[in-house]
Amino acid sequence: MAGIELTDIHKSYGPTRVVQGLSLSIGQGEFLALLGPSGCGKTTTLRMIAGLEVPDSGTIAIDGRVVHGPGARVPPERRGLGMVFQSYAVWPHRTVAKNVEYPLRLMGLRRAEATARVREALGWVRMEALAERMPHALSGGQLQRVALARALVGRPRVLLLDEPLSNLDAALKEELRAEIAALRSRLGTTMVYVTHDQGEAMALADRIAVMDSGRLEQVDSPERLYSEPATPFVAGFVGGANLLGGESGAGCFFASGAKFELPPELSGAEGPGTLVVRPEDLEVGVGQGGTPLTLSARLFLGSSAEYRFPLGDRLLRAIGPPLEARPGETLPVRVRKGRLFRGSFPATKPGR
Amino acid sequence: MRLAEKKLELVLAATLLAPLLAFAIGPVVVLLVRSVASLRGEALLELLSADGRRATYNTLTISAGAAGVAFLVGAPLALLLERTDLAYRGVLRVLFTLPSAIPPFIWGMGWLALANPKAGLLNRVLGAGALDIYGPVGIAFVLGGAGLPLVLLAGTASLSRVDPALEEAARLSGAGPLRALLTVSLPLALPALGSGAVMVFLFSASAFGVPYILGVTASPPTVVLTTRIYGQVLLGGPDALARALSLSAVLLLLASVLLVAGQLLGRAGRVRLAAGKGVSRRPMPLGRYRSPLSVAAAVAAFVLVLLPLFAVFLTSVQKSYGAPLGLEHLTFAHWAGVLTSPRTLSAAGRSVLLAGAAGTLVCAFGLLVALSRKHFPLAGRAVDALASWPFAVPGTVMAMALLVAFSRDLRLVLFERVAFVLAMANTLWLVLAAYAAKYLVLGGSNLSESMAQVDPSLAEAARVSGASRARAFLDATLPSLRPALASAFVLAFLACATELTMSVLLVPTGKAVLGTLLFELQSYADPNAASVLACGFVLLVVLALGAMEAVRRSARRRAVGG
Repeated sequence: MAGIELTDIHKSYGPTRVVQGLSLSIGQGEFLALLGPSGCGKTTTLRMIAGLEVPDSGTIAIDGRVVHGPGARVPPERRGLGMVFQSYAVWPHRTVAKNVEYPLRLMGLRRAEATARVREALGWVRMEALAERMPHALSGGQLQRVALARALVGRPRVLLLDEPLSNLDAALKEELRAEIAALRSRLGTTMVYVTHDQGEAMALADRIAVMDSGRLEQVDSPERLYSEPATPFVAGFVGGANLLGGESGAGCFFASGAKFELPPELSGAEGPGTLVVRPEDLEVGVGQGGTPLTLSARLFLGSSAEYRFPLGDRLLRAIGPPLEARPGETLPVRVRKGRLFRGSFPATKPGR
Repeated sequence: MRLAEKKLELVLAATLLAPLLAFAIGPVVVLLVRSVASLRGEALLELLSADGRRATYNTLTISAGAAGVAFLVGAPLALLLERTDLAYRGVLRVLFTLPSAIPPFIWGMGWLALANPKAGLLNRVLGAGALDIYGPVGIAFVLGGAGLPLVLLAGTASLSRVDPALEEAARLSGAGPLRALLTVSLPLALPALGSGAVMVFLFSASAFGVPYILGVTASPPTVVLTTRIYGQVLLGGPDALARALSLSAVLLLLASVLLVAGQLLGRAGRVRLAAGKGVSRRPMPLGRYRSPLSVAAAVAAFVLVLLPLFAVFLTSVQKSYGAPLGLEHLTFAHWAGVLTSPRTLSAAGRSVLLAGAAGTLVCAFGLLVALSRKHFPLAGRAVDALASWPFAVPGTVMAMALLVAFSRDLRLVLFERVAFVLAMANTLWLVLAAYAAKYLVLGGSNLSESMAQVDPSLAEAARVSGASRARAFLDATLPSLRPALASAFVLAFLACATELTMSVLLVPTGKAVLGTLLFELQSYADPNAASVLACGFVLLVVLALGAMEAVRRSARRRAVGG
């Protein structure tokens, strides 16, 4: 039985279709990251699971109970979830302890019992010492810890996190990320984590659901997303790969007036397609038979260098050993490894 | 800091402080000194006399009642209008904020026509003597209704700034929508609502027109501090003046305490701005309570706002005050009479000139205040505080202060040759000074706010292009301030053109302005004619504010479209 089951969810704001036919099942105890660029519908999806947004159609079930669907509409307070917000949402008129105590009081716990649980939850996030502080006397990282404790104190089966780290600086991000991972393995809570930061998603999640323009592009483990992206979008978003739209034939790929020789495993392809190549899989300057391209910029990165070549209306990025090269020079570029997707390149996306 | 800036600071501070001291702060200090100096004999007797104590007591109880009415109606209304799916929220919001723009005296006139015990319109429907608007309860009710926007606006502004995620977090913690609203948003908005109620208290303690027509002319009369001061000034003579002065000092003290209390509350309630992404807040569905609550709010708006205005209009077309209802008893004779009478026309002319001049002064000083606030944080804040202070000083006290300070001509003789004589007593110049001082804050706050939003790089770009500091300000900064200047001018103009409290004390006989004309017509001569004038006031205010809103909207649309 799945922890959360979303079936054919649709949601529009006026004419804007935010989520289109999304189906997703999240396992018990799983850590799933919803990853995508801003405006892709990931936050809306999370808020629909929470009950803060209402889908236009589709079914949502949590722990086998339908919380939204034909004839069922469970309000957020009765879904038994915890949630952490991007803006922390720690109530400024209550102390840290009173913030964390609130859900327990609504569950009908006695004060003595609640106090013990509050202390335990504050212990999880190492905030016991600050229990009597008012929120305005806390830093951003401490506020988010309080929010975590408050979301977890009622021991929800599912914890929803909406870009919880995006208001924090880099060092704190790192620290809280480790803390979330530790809490998760200690409590075994199912977690759904919305982020636009692929590094965050890769480091934390068992599986990542990549979304774009309201649709699911791919749901897979971080490793498989990286090694076997299902769509050009996933390859571009997760791996930072170059996407080239064009036509293949006779062992070559033609894009924006340039002709690339394809590696042997791709050479059989024919017809229109999208060539996806990671920057480190483009060989610059060495070997023979490369495509001559004009260098527009060279960024020295220490042990390697990034080379940029204008191609049509986009830039081709390649990473390799640092060479003596100046912008304006023409260098041979060779595709060492890549993936080819069939069909024409989606140059213009609806709603973009 | 460079030398040039230091010099500029000095010049600015001097141009600001001199008139502020001369016309706003100084006179009030003179009043305090004089009242303390005369705290013997007659003045002390006044404070201890039964009448003086009675007036103080009435002011306190009536103001507390008005603050209570405004809070009890305003707080739930703020929640309903800002956070729920109540029907016709937009219209209701406009209706409920209207009282703040219309002089309270007119609400008093409206309620007098509705609920005076003998011929009130409501009493004719409900049976004679059912309602009696005269007396402390009636005054508190009318002032509470007129002060309602202070609570409502403070509440909605604060509620709209509460981060929606705070309530959502409560929902996820297991609270239902009503519980989330009451345990999270309401406590956060409570200080703002409370500070609004304190402001209603201050507004009521300073009110003159309403307690005058509903208190002084009643039997038995209800006298408050402002009306007693007015009565003593009318009585004349050094004894009466001393009494008036000591009562003014009491009122000033009360106002200062209230102002500080209100500001402390307001500071405590400064709600954190909504952070994070712009998740729009969905209004809470009222479900089956939507219809009854919408009807209740609409009825409240009808009773508190539309009914009194309608009563004023009806009075203006009735053949005589308290005439029976019926078409045959209606006439436009009063309208024709008032609109063509030379008295009205000359009063209107004076009011337009005075209000226009005051509006210009308010804008000019507001600009200077905003500039000094921007460039010299410390000195600027001090000047800003000084400039907003006169607004909180009750009009009656401000007028008394100016009367006392400028009762004699001021002479300044230089080198025994050149003499400057400032003879302002009994002239309209003193009225102008009072108007400009009182409403200075409209310019200061409006312009400071909008100056803070102007991108400084606009002026910097002009400087780099070769413009001098002043030129850059004129060419690059000032055009962005035009909307704020316009709204400061319109607001100050409206407030001054309809001003009554200070005018009745300061305007010399035979030089009536619209406010004093309205007061005289209503209290002594001709309530029907007064109603015509009141209708004119309401039309002027509604049209001016409507036009301002239309301009603002089209500007916003242009900004969004471009």
